[in-house]
Amino acid sequence: MRIAVLMKAVVEPESRIGLGSDGEVQCANFRYELNEYDLYAVEEAIRMAELYDAEVTVVSAGPEEAVQSLRKGLAMGATDAIFVPVEESMGDAFLSAEVLADVLKPVQPDLILSGVESNDLGGSQVGVLVAEQLGYVAATMVISVKVGNDGVLNVRRELEGGNFVDVDLPMPAVLTIQTGLNEPRYPSLKGIMAAKRKDLVRLELSDLDIGDSQLVETIEYSYPPRRERAQMIEGSSEAIASELVSLLRAKDKVL
Amino acid sequence: MSREVWCIVEHRGGEVDNDSLQLFGAVHRLDGEAVAVVCGDEVAGLAEQISGECDRVISLSSSALASFTPDGYAQAIVPLALERQPSAILTLHSHFLGRDLAPVLASRLGTGLISDCIDVEWRAGFVGKRLVYRRKLIATQRSIVPGIQVATCQRGAFEAPESSGLDAAVEMLSVEIDVDAVRWKVGEFDEAEVVVGDITEADVIVAAGRGVGSKENLDSVQRLAKAIGGTLAASRPLVDHGWLSRGLQVGSSGKTVRPRLYLALGISGAIQHVVGMRDSDVIVAINKDPRAPIFEYADYGIVADLMEIIGPLTDEVEALRG
Ligand SMILES: Cc1cc2nc3c(=O)[nH]c(=O)nc-3n(C[C@H](O)[C@H](O)[C@H](O)COP(=O)(O)OP(=O)(O)OC[C@H]3O[C@@H](n4cnc5c(N)ncnc54)[C@H](O)[C@@H]3O)c2cc1C
Repeated sequence: MRIAVLMKAVVEPESRIGLGSDGEVQCANFRYELNEYDLYAVEEAIRMAELYDAEVTVVSAGPEEAVQSLRKGLAMGATDAIFVPVEESMGDAFLSAEVLADVLKPVQPDLILSGVESNDLGGSQVGVLVAEQLGYVAATMVISVKVGNDGVLNVRRELEGGNFVDVDLPMPAVLTIQTGLNEPRYPSLKGIMAAKRKDLVRLELSDLDIGDSQLVETIEYSYPPRRERAQMIEGSSEAIASELVSLLRAKDKVL
Repeated sequence: MSREVWCIVEHRGGEVDNDSLQLFGAVHRLDGEAVAVVCGDEVAGLAEQISGECDRVISLSSSALASFTPDGYAQAIVPLALERQPSAILTLHSHFLGRDLAPVLASRLGTGLISDCIDVEWRAGFVGKRLVYRRKLIATQRSIVPGIQVATCQRGAFEAPESSGLDAAVEMLSVEIDVDAVRWKVGEFDEAEVVVGDITEADVIVAAGRGVGSKENLDSVQRLAKAIGGTLAASRPLVDHGWLSRGLQVGSSGKTVRPRLYLALGISGAIQHVVGMRDSDVIVAINKDPRAPIFEYADYGIVADLMEIIGPLTDEVEALRG
């Protein structure tokens, strides 16, 4: 069995995110990290590989920083990695999906895992679109996966409000993984050393068979309208505590 | 291209998910005809539940549609959409229709998808606005393919129109589903446990987020909760880490709470958390990031390291309550 994991390098939440005078997102100082949801997907793939004797290929199409994320996947235990440099400004889910699907076609994974969405753009489309491109079946919001004796996947999907539903589906398949289904491991020193010897293949967009498939363009960025701002309480910790308590007691009468 | 905008209605156990009615509000933004599309096995009752809320209802029925499956729904919807060419198809950005169906529909209709929209309009094409970079920016996106458009709408972003009181025409179609091409086999639903005395009944909630930093620090939060006579709750990451039980999670995949007082400690204010607590009477947010979105929902905001505030706050509350 071969499992592929889609990994995205996302803009770190602490990055300062603002617009330039040209209205464009100022991304010069962006720092990137592995998308949190994908971390759970990698961990799940490696656990499944241990259980079902599979190989794991981690794949990313995105900024150069994604190489760090892929190395992390290798250090956690993935077998090999594929990286395609793609400019952030091209970020359109269909395009990303087409690139990833074309990369994965020769790999022929039985199972593809990705996070439920990306932490920065959050479209939650790429996994399902990759499945559509490859003719695989997909299920999203997965919080548990097992492979039955018949080779059928038994998954548990999380619904809104803390409800769940169980679904069986055949491989090959794409599953998008929700946080909390496992506890992602920290790469060991041994893992980090071993990762250096593992294959990290770099493909260029020009190596791939993709059309001009952008379907959605971003025409403008803006700041969300500020709602009624909170009354900010400032001062020393003690002063803040005492002012807050007296407001909650005297004004709001909730204490 | 017709003015029809199809709104795929979400339902379970014979009940329409009322947030689906918000889609008709989005149709108003598009100046279209609000056509509710209901797929299922027994659909007459569902059609009746919404016929007063929209302009027209199309119900697509088959025993193979008894449970939601992306393949089944797509088989029912795609051929009809290709024939009738609605200008757009909308779903909620929900865990079924939004995440599993919308990308499949877009892909099989050969069109793009703008997901989790907080606004939609026609502006030299189909335009959707969505929050990106953890709600710090709005991206306005436009589809560059002509023909049928597909978008998902964030829950709560659009207002359901006033009920017209008139029953819209209901078109009942039975559809043929090739069950061999339906790859999901749907098993049990597992409803969230209803626990007596749980956080949904609490008057005061002290909610901890990832900003708490460590399991040890949770003890201080617990002490504050006790002092203030409140119940401890949490954002998802603390539950994912196994620090607290699922029953204490506030948000879209947890509980919706409405206490008199909600203290959010080290919680950033992701939409999935906010939908579970924004209707609380008084909200206090403590966060070290002055730009954290949680402050937009708070009545009182404190920009600080929560571990520095929590001690004095506990003392102050204890002094007050004796
Ligand atoms: C489908 C789906 C469903 C989800 N359902 C839920 C749900 O039901 N409930 C839920 O909560 N989330 C849910 N999430 C996750 C959600 O998107 C966020 O990831 C999560 O709410 C973030 O939790 P947080 O605010 O605690 O953590 P973070 O977003 O990491 O925020 C931590 C905050 O703490 C602040 N901070 C850090 N250190 C300190 C300090 N010392 N003092 C003060 N402040 C500090 C930081 O500035 C930051 O704002 C869901 C996600 C998806 C995709």
